[in-house]
Amino acid sequence: MNVVVCVKQIPDPADPGELDPETKTLKRDSKLILDESDSYGVEMALQLVDAAGEGEVTLVSMAPNNEVGGLRTALAMGAASAVLVSDEALAGTDALGTAKVLAAAIGRTSPDLVLAATESSDGYTGTVPAQVAELLGLPSVTFAKEIAVDGGGVHVKRQTEDGYDSVECPMPCLVSVTAGVVEPRYPSFKGIMAAKSKPVDEVTVADLGIDAGSVGWAGGGQEIVGIEPAPARESGEVIEDEGDAHERIVAFLDELKVL
Amino acid sequence: MHEWSDEHQMLRQAMKDFIAKEILPIKEDLEHGDLPPYDTLRKLFATFGMDEMARSTFRRRIERERAVAAGEVVDEPVESFGDPGFTLIPIIELSRHCPGMVTAMGVSMGLTASAISAKGTIAQKERWVEPLLTMEKIGAWAITEPNSGSDAFGSMQATARRDGDEYILNGSKTFITNGPYADTIVFIAKLDEGNPPAERKILSFVLDAGTAGLEQSKPLRKMGMHSSPTGELFLADVRVGRDRLIGETEEVAKGGREGAKATFQQERSGVAAMALGIIEQCLEVCVEYAKNRVQFGQPIGEFQLIQQKLAIMEVARMNVSNLVFRTIELGQAGRSMSFAEASAMKLYSAQAATAVALEAVQLHGGNGYMAEFQVEQLARDAKVLQIYAGTDEIQTTAIAKALLA
Ligand SMILES: Cc1cc2nc3c(=O)[nH]c(=O)nc-3n(C[C@H](O)[C@H](O)[C@H](O)COP(=O)(O)OP(=O)(O)OC[C@H]3O[C@@H](n4cnc5c(N)ncnc54)[C@H](O)[C@@H]3O)c2cc1C
Ligand SMILES: Cc1cc2nc3c(=O)[nH]c(=O)nc-3n(C[C@H](O)[C@H](O)[C@H](O)COP(=O)(O)OP(=O)(O)OC[C@H]3O[C@@H](n4cnc5c(N)ncnc54)[C@H](O)[C@@H]3O)c2cc1C
Repeated sequence: MNVVVCVKQIPDPADPGELDPETKTLKRDSKLILDESDSYGVEMALQLVDAAGEGEVTLVSMAPNNEVGGLRTALAMGAASAVLVSDEALAGTDALGTAKVLAAAIGRTSPDLVLAATESSDGYTGTVPAQVAELLGLPSVTFAKEIAVDGGGVHVKRQTEDGYDSVECPMPCLVSVTAGVVEPRYPSFKGIMAAKSKPVDEVTVADLGIDAGSVGWAGGGQEIVGIEPAPARESGEVIEDEGDAHERIVAFLDELKVL
Repeated sequence: MHEWSDEHQMLRQAMKDFIAKEILPIKEDLEHGDLPPYDTLRKLFATFGMDEMARSTFRRRIERERAVAAGEVVDEPVESFGDPGFTLIPIIELSRHCPGMVTAMGVSMGLTASAISAKGTIAQKERWVEPLLTMEKIGAWAITEPNSGSDAFGSMQATARRDGDEYILNGSKTFITNGPYADTIVFIAKLDEGNPPAERKILSFVLDAGTAGLEQSKPLRKMGMHSSPTGELFLADVRVGRDRLIGETEEVAKGGREGAKATFQQERSGVAAMALGIIEQCLEVCVEYAKNRVQFGQPIGEFQLIQQKLAIMEVARMNVSNLVFRTIELGQAGRSMSFAEASAMKLYSAQAATAVALEAVQLHGGNGYMAEFQVEQLARDAKVLQIYAGTDEIQTTAIAKALLA
């Protein structure tokens, strides 16, 4: 069984960088890492291929500056190869544009299953996976917390507010995975050493047969009209203890109806 | 080499993640509760496939040795462990939090395994080395005695006496890392043939825990390195066969010296990596503290005397880091430092780590003296780097000897 996992490479959340006031998007010129959200998809894919006893995990990513840092991490975990779409023409690409690019890259392989995360950690529109499925003409299942494969289809436990739905779906299909549902493995020593020599196929928009005018700033159907700093948290009330602090705290909690 | 490669950085990150998840939550038990570090180390090995890798490298090496012994021509050298960075990075990252775990690990899979590997027969290696390299078994290496430390060979009182085909071993060893829990112990003694002690041969034996006449003490109370159990060994008429004499021959002098040197080399680069971890961690928490601790209406980092401490720590970090890089680069080229150079590296790194950790305590003021703040532990831990694996004074002597030779 061959599984494609969409992995987004994002600026390190521990060192989040800045927004570009000009383009109103996140600056992505520093080193990018594997989005933690996607590490669950990678882990699930590795487990499914393991269980099937045959097949490979292929990664697909769209990222600026030919960035492979995050891909190497997923390759070290055990994925076999990667397709990276990187092209100046993609600057300014919105979620639908991203989906077009990913769909075209996935379409070059013929996977039995495509996995993505429910939402990325930096953009988190949560719209890309369903758009990719639509563009590829595949059925899609969202919020997967467990995936099993047999005969011709996938069995998915789909997370809901108060439990889960059991969903069956023929393959090929696209499933988006909820964060935290599996324990992503650490890359092993061997995996880290092998990652460098695993194939990463770097392709451009033209290689994918996509019209450059339909992606990037030119093709954007959306526009970011403004960015504002998040409002600072208002400072709390400081109670100086003049002997009655405990009464005032009790009164305050009482007002909040937490007592 | 002037910086960590992408692979090194990936490994460092993975180590940091593992430590945050698996070690920091039990750190209190490891450092203050006598929880032995071995299960956690085994988990580390299994998680990163270090056990599997050590096993397969070991088996290839043994196969080659066997082919050589059978007189087959072997021109393909077995590739070594590869990039020394992969050995040193776990040491650096662990030493930021629990340098004792590194001591326990290094003595077991480094010192003890190397002692048997360097001089043992193929059968002895198969019997003892593989489980040490994978951390399945815990090893101890026992040379120090109550009356014999820096002058390890000269003052050694432990004896081996021949008795037919067997040996009878007697003596006490102290300050033995992993002593209380070791499964496999390398015991170093002098062969007593009734000749004067200065002329006696030095022999090494492998003992298993539970052997009649062998007593392993409880962990000793000590200043630091609490995640590394240290103890005493007492041997009273321990009877062993020749199969436990490393090399199965009393004539170990020839190949022995080179093997011992390689072991020292490994130990000394390990100490430099430990020093680097301690220095990096101290510097990191000190920079944070200097930015956030406010006195006289400003962060203490605004005071030039505090700035000076940080600058000196940074100089130490750069120097020790360059020594570690040099070790890695030499290893990648299949070379190693001279004995004196390795001594110089060990001397400098140990002193730098202790100085940095003590200044880190100073920079934290009263908090620095409290166990709640990490620098208190690191200062206690760092000090031993100047004592074990050859004291500062012994390293100094080795450097001077090479200069004056
Ligand atoms: C007008 C506009 C301009 C923009 N300009 C830029 C720009 O110049 N540069 C830029 O980097 N971003 C830009 N963005 C943001 C970027 O388009 C989105 O981050 C991207 O489309 C994915 O959306 P998301 O992160 O919300 O994905 P989500 O829908 O939240 O992602 C869900 C999952 O889909 C998969 N996925 C999403 N994106 C990728 C990817 N790139 N590669 C592989 N898998 C993926 C992952 O599995 C991910 O977890 C722009 C957005 C807009 C609206
Ligand atoms: C935590 C810990 C773990 C250890 N683990 C092990 C282990 O696993 N196995 C093992 O066998 N040993 C181990 N040791 C022992 C360690 O190797 C010795 O403590 C060390 O070699 C010093 O010996 P000593 O303690 O007898 O000090 P001494 O040799 O008595 O030294 C006392 C002082 O005299 C100085 N001195 C001695 N000779 C000279 C000289 N010629 N010139 C100038 N100064 C000199 C020393 O440098 C030192 O300052 C461990 C020690 C510690 C603290």
